[in-house]
Amino acid sequence: MDFHSLIHWVQQDTLESLRLFAPELVLCATIVVLLLARMLLPRVQNPMVVTLVGSLAAFWLAVDQMGNPQLPQHAELFTGLLVFDQFMVFFRVFLTAFLVLFVIFTWRSGIPAPEDGTDFYALVLGAALGMCLMTAANNLVMVFLAVEMASVPSYALSGILKGRRESSEAALKFAVYGAGAAGVMLYGISLLGGALGSLHLPSLAARLGQVLAGHGGEVGQVVLVLGGLMIMVGLAFKLSAFPFHFWAPDVFHGAAAEVGGFLSVASKAAALALLVRTAVGLSYVPPEAPSVAQVAAPQAQGAAEPRGAQAAPAVAQARVLPTAFAAPQQGHAPDHAAQAPQQAHGGAEAPPASRMALNQALVPARRFAAYLIGLLAALTATFGNLAAYGQTNIKRLLAYSTIAHAGYMMMPVAASLMLQDEAAREALATLLFYVVVYLFMNLPAFYIVALLRNRLGSEEIADYAGLIRQSPGLVVCFAAVFFSLIGLPPLAGFAAKFAILASLAHAGLWTLLAVAGLNTALSLFYYLRVIKVMTMDPAPESQPQVSIPLAASADGLFALVLTLPLLVIGVYWNGVFGWAVQAVAPLFR
Amino acid sequence: MLLASLFTEPVGVAHYVAVGAVLFVCGAVCMATKRNALGVLMGVELVLNGANLNFIAFSQPALYADSAWALGLDGQLASIFVIVLAAAEAAVALAIALNFYNNFTSIDVDHADELKG
Repeated sequence: MDFHSLIHWVQQDTLESLRLFAPELVLCATIVVLLLARMLLPRVQNPMVVTLVGSLAAFWLAVDQMGNPQLPQHAELFTGLLVFDQFMVFFRVFLTAFLVLFVIFTWRSGIPAPEDGTDFYALVLGAALGMCLMTAANNLVMVFLAVEMASVPSYALSGILKGRRESSEAALKFAVYGAGAAGVMLYGISLLGGALGSLHLPSLAARLGQVLAGHGGEVGQVVLVLGGLMIMVGLAFKLSAFPFHFWAPDVFHGAAAEVGGFLSVASKAAALALLVRTAVGLSYVPPEAPSVAQVAAPQAQGAAEPRGAQAAPAVAQARVLPTAFAAPQQGHAPDHAAQAPQQAHGGAEAPPASRMALNQALVPARRFAAYLIGLLAALTATFGNLAAYGQTNIKRLLAYSTIAHAGYMMMPVAASLMLQDEAAREALATLLFYVVVYLFMNLPAFYIVALLRNRLGSEEIADYAGLIRQSPGLVVCFAAVFFSLIGLPPLAGFAAKFAILASLAHAGLWTLLAVAGLNTALSLFYYLRVIKVMTMDPAPESQPQVSIPLAASADGLFALVLTLPLLVIGVYWNGVFGWAVQAVAPLFR
Repeated sequence: MLLASLFTEPVGVAHYVAVGAVLFVCGAVCMATKRNALGVLMGVELVLNGANLNFIAFSQPALYADSAWALGLDGQLASIFVIVLAAAEAAVALAIALNFYNNFTSIDVDHADELKG
């Protein structure tokens, strides 16, 4: 391996990675354009329009990669820091679609104020960029970087309401809790990575398999368990899972409803994707994941024949590179063949049997992760639902509802870790389906809260009394959202919850199934209480005029657009579910 | 027993990790007990630096009997990234603390108790 071919390989790898990384690049470019526009064209610039165009472009590029047969099915980007597969593409489409809807949401609801627009949208785009990275992380350093990239702008976002005591308190609490959780997570990463001698998730899984099979030297199990638990602290914070959920109600209460919508949908979806990436990444040794440079090489050869002869040896050598970078002295390690599929060219092709043996040895790790996630999920769902009872502020109630739903959404992850192959993929597909449905439950909820805040100047549930007489359409939308959050047919929430319960039954996690069923019943009452206040309670004398007709005003129309998919997906859920099944295909191999 | 062997053995990974663990615990205690928001943020810095020390120690092949288990360059790069991120986080957190001070004329985290339930 001489210096020239090394440079050549890095160049090729980076260029090919950047091509697949296009949606994120567009988000980056949008941030730059936003900031430059304020400086150069302060009078004509409209940050909302710039963001809308940028996120639409990112969405279009992301959709273009969906199920595209010309792209690699499973490849590592940027020397193994990120992984490209349909799972990542799914979440990227989801996040960019959310971004488009979110920008329209903020346009209708009037926050941010015009002078804050650039700051607000730059922070939103930055956080979305971090979330996209979370869904693709393939290296523990990347896990930490992505979590921080998503968190740090969120701290600032929650304090965007200037001069409000509540908002500044929310931001301070979020920042302090978040920094603490991130620190603990980083320490866990250093323990786990240090004990196993790698930060690259597939290599880590292979090493972990060896250690569990008893060929691992003197790696203490205590260190591994401690490292795993500490990483879980950081993930639980992002998921707002019990016992690291304390920030969520305060932040949702103090920050604007817009920020609540952003955190409760996008941040949660990305955190779930990251949970899957780390839990599955640490407990399965995936099959060979070539770097993009290798995937692209055959095509380049076909296209440009003269260059082909030169490119071939460079590529063959390139295959050793990722691990050569990672740990220069590991050439003689006994795990050489098993841990790095990239080294296949050296004649040391990992026999499938050894990967199978490692995956077999990893069963205890999978069990541990499944029980840990299952326990947290049960506690989170129960706590969220119980705490939601006494709430009088609608944003706080929705925060606890978000916590409870984080619990539900962690359950299929536990189920998929208990299952094998096809069954595991099906269980995980229910999570992706739920995430999509969740977008159309929580975004309209926060949107309607924001609309009512603008008209009523209040976010107390009691002030919603008798709203149905003034704007019946909006209240019906709100009620549909709540019924879907409870999980009543024929709305999409029912299909999603039913799929999750089925996956739990399939995995034999009967306790978790019972907890989920019980929680559904528990949640019925506090959601219905809000609907009762809006429909049955008499309106106070002094209630301001809040008529928002659904069809005749842009505000109402957007509420309808956000809510209607609940009914559509609730009836025709095969399409979305099929898409989710397709997205999880590369996992659990 | 364990401590005694640390004192008699030649310096190895365990010694560095022990210092890192002490830093981590100091940071965690600082986060839990300090009432001043800046004190809490200092605790976070201690925790991050404890992790950084781990990364550096684990990345040093010379400290390992079987150097295949060392982190290598990955660990050193990780620590550089962490230093950058810690700076970014501190900048945002200080801005937020200042914003809090503007509204509450205090940065005592105990005063942040208006949101509850």
